[in-house]
Amino acid sequence: MDRDEIFEKVRTIISEKLGVEEDEVTEESTLDEDLGADSLDLVDLTMAIEDEFGVRVEDEELEKIKTVGDVVNKLVSALGTEDEE
Amino acid sequence: MKCELPHLRIGEYEAKIPIVQGGMSVGISLDNLASAVANEGGIGVIGAAGIGMMEPDFDTNFREANKRALKTVIRKTRSKTNGIVGVNIMVALTDFEELVETAIDEKADLLFLGAGLPLKVPIEEARKRSTAIVPIVSSAKAAKLVFDYWHRRYGDIPDGVVVEGPLAGGHLGFKKEQIERKEYQLERILPEVIKVVQCFEELYSRKIPVIAAGGIFTGMDIRKYIEMGAAGVQMASRFVATEECDASKEFKEMYVRCTKEDLIIIDSPVGLPGRAINNHFLEEVNKGTKKPFVCPWKCLRTCDVVNSPYCIGSALINAKNGMLNDGFAFAGANAYRIHSITTVKELMEELMEDYLSSSFCNPRSTSSNS
Repeated sequence: MDRDEIFEKVRTIISEKLGVEEDEVTEESTLDEDLGADSLDLVDLTMAIEDEFGVRVEDEELEKIKTVGDVVNKLVSALGTEDEE
Repeated sequence: MKCELPHLRIGEYEAKIPIVQGGMSVGISLDNLASAVANEGGIGVIGAAGIGMMEPDFDTNFREANKRALKTVIRKTRSKTNGIVGVNIMVALTDFEELVETAIDEKADLLFLGAGLPLKVPIEEARKRSTAIVPIVSSAKAAKLVFDYWHRRYGDIPDGVVVEGPLAGGHLGFKKEQIERKEYQLERILPEVIKVVQCFEELYSRKIPVIAAGGIFTGMDIRKYIEMGAAGVQMASRFVATEECDASKEFKEMYVRCTKEDLIIIDSPVGLPGRAINNHFLEEVNKGTKKPFVCPWKCLRTCDVVNSPYCIGSALINAKNGMLNDGFAFAGANAYRIHSITTVKELMEELMEDYLSSSFCNPRSTSSNS
């Protein structure tokens, strides 16, 4: 899975969980301010992402995540994906 | 309908009276109140936040002071009762994990964990020491998240759950604008949480009691929520106005004197709205007056120490000690209905009588053939 595919999947999950349009979700969007996620949503999202990608996000890492891009970056490194940009 | 109060069973513990005394932190529910409630057959709960306030090294060695004091208070409570004793620990505390460990080491019967989602809990230790864990939530969504998370990470689930509605005192798990709205009231969220919990009960073949909380005042209120499917209730404000409550006389008198209009919603430095009794201190804060302070602790993960208008830790310690010019009291929405200070025994008896005196159970109003 390359970076773009990861982003597409993350975008779908975020759009479902937060009830926002997929178009609104960009790598730059912040989860809390731009997309309106509260602390409950963040845990919910994390669990959905863990399910989808079969990875484990530690809570310490979760605290550092601010934007959708951060999520993608974490997944890229967790999955050992070649960055194809 | 049975005319007796149902027992409240949480994990391996069974309380004769289905009343949990809500944990009231910063010195309001300590060994005196918790043991008195436990002695009457309810569940007595120690409030852990700020518990080290009387220790000489509270300002210099905050974490150790809290741990030591919690240990002492649990032991003192045990020395006064053989009943069921719990500890309430706020998830937002910077020393949350340490206090949880301490309470488990001291074999607290139950831990009530709120003001944040209790996700990271040393569940194996808790099971070894027979400490049951009960999260406090304010929505079905939060309940589902906690149970889901535990199920995945630990292959285990909490032993019960407290659903706290928006009429509670202290910190509320709602946004300010939700507090008055119908769909967030306890009557609405209780059945939703019960539904979530039922799935996990089936999955684990285990009974998970759901405990209703927030604004419960009379025995009739208790009956109402039990008939809606709650296994018990959590009540706190009414226990403040008792002789056994560990707060100062001045603090208790705030409860006796306050009017409905005095009960207001504030923005707490914890990052949640809270319900409190309005006074000069809060009026000043509301006007924008800053109460300068130096933070010796950083007690809350969520506190913005630089921009917070006052120190909530100091304010609540002052209030507990009766210095209400420099602090304030949290209280539930029905605290204005309290008009006198009673004893825990009398209060529990009143609640039970009221519960039993519904038309169906009251022999005076039931026709009998005998």
